[in-house]
Amino acid sequence: MHISDGVLPTSIALGAGAASLVLATWSARRSPAEDLPKVAVVSAAFFVASLVHIPLGPTSIHLLLPGVVGALLGPAAFLAILLGLVLQSLLFQFGGLTALGGNALMMGLPALACGLLFQTLRGQSRKRQAIVGALCGGLGVLGSALIMAVLLALSGEDFLGIAKLALLAHLPVVVIEAIVAGFIVSFLARVKPELLEAPFTLRKTPPVLDTERKR
Amino acid sequence: MTEQQTIHLAAYWLPLLGCGVILCSWLAMRALRRMITTRQETPNEQIPTIDAEASGRSLIHSWDPRFKIIALLGFAFCAVSLQSPITILIALLLTIITLAIARIPWHRPLRRLLAMNGFLVMFLVVMPLTVPTHSGDTLVVFGNWQMLTCNLRGLELALIIIGKAWCVALLMEPLLATAPLGATLEGLTRLGLPGKISEMLLIAHRYLFVFLGEVQRMRSGMEARAFRPGRRWDTLRDLGNFVGMLLVRSFERTHRVYAAMQARGYTGTLPHHHQFRGAMSDWLQTTIWLGLGLGLVLVDRLGVGGF
Repeated sequence: MHISDGVLPTSIALGAGAASLVLATWSARRSPAEDLPKVAVVSAAFFVASLVHIPLGPTSIHLLLPGVVGALLGPAAFLAILLGLVLQSLLFQFGGLTALGGNALMMGLPALACGLLFQTLRGQSRKRQAIVGALCGGLGVLGSALIMAVLLALSGEDFLGIAKLALLAHLPVVVIEAIVAGFIVSFLARVKPELLEAPFTLRKTPPVLDTERKR
Repeated sequence: MTEQQTIHLAAYWLPLLGCGVILCSWLAMRALRRMITTRQETPNEQIPTIDAEASGRSLIHSWDPRFKIIALLGFAFCAVSLQSPITILIALLLTIITLAIARIPWHRPLRRLLAMNGFLVMFLVVMPLTVPTHSGDTLVVFGNWQMLTCNLRGLELALIIIGKAWCVALLMEPLLATAPLGATLEGLTRLGLPGKISEMLLIAHRYLFVFLGEVQRMRSGMEARAFRPGRRWDTLRDLGNFVGMLLVRSFERTHRVYAAMQARGYTGTLPHHHQFRGAMSDWLQTTIWLGLGLGLVLVDRLGVGGF
């Protein structure tokens, strides 16, 4: 789900670019400087996770995971998503150079919102975390689809039809993403629950290396 | 005010045209895909190398990355601002000439164009059917199928979008493939991108391939345990666990990577290797590109020369 070059009028493309620049600066300021290389490594993992394809009827969809990125990275999620989008457009031409700002808003804003939602509703029990994770996973994709539709609709009345259709086409994706996000969060709650407690860029104490803990 | 024109075609034209278009595009896609896969160095590579052509020699290769980025990025923004088909065709022609000058093997830009197909085909199909009718539009009606009235203005709009998207996609190859990625990113840093960000891009790009290897290893492990993507619910649960495992490993790896970087003397910035020297020819090339881009926008907006 990306808007490619040439769709958005230049004014909207530049405006979205400026807005995502502001958000990215905020996102980088909120995380300590020494955590940024770590965010980069984790965004590479999310990038690879988004290459996983799931069969859906006659076609297949690839995971987007904005909700999970938000839940695990907190404020740094926007930066991670921007990185992923830049790499996607550099490597595969998914999305585009001039539409980068619009795409970043589309995926990044829902991620930030879902991160906040997950941290407030999370609770302690594993079941509840999985359900909240699924909710965030679904809402994240829904939010992205809505922002995409708004961006397209802002581009002129000619794009209204395609905006509605894009929104409709994403409804099955919302369901699948919610289920997979629920399973991911429930897996993390079982295997490494400290990942869900707080985004690592916000933790006061540096996390202990696994090798150190064993000693 | 002119009324909209309506062209009436018999109903049997609809399946005829539809099938023809679908068959032609399917055949073309298949041929292109085959050509690309036979030209690849390793057929199974999932992620192409960004800077595979960096060792070549051409006018574009010797262009200082800083100037190249400004010129081509500026031209890309000019290109997406265009509105008339003729100026877009000229812009496309210019990018194709650049590709020829940079001597980039044609399967690389073709691969980029193919990647955008899904999104652009959606426009091509949906726009003619959904664009609101204005005066002066030409409508095509098939017999009694009022539902499927095609508006040729929508088709034109979709084609314009495709032209612009192709234009920028073709520019990506000369922009990125003609210098090592490190040099391009350092060029961006000199142009004002925070050093931290270009560093993050470099690290993320590096670890992409590490995690891709990890995914392939995990996948063969799953397949050895008889995993078949099939029954919906189980597949989704397995994929959720798969992604969860990938994330756990990445979070563990990221702390190890950082510790290793510190052990090798990382103090917050990566060392710079590239020397940039802006020569007269760099200025000249950049001025020409920006001039061409702005000129096209001017022609486009003012309608100079009867366009």
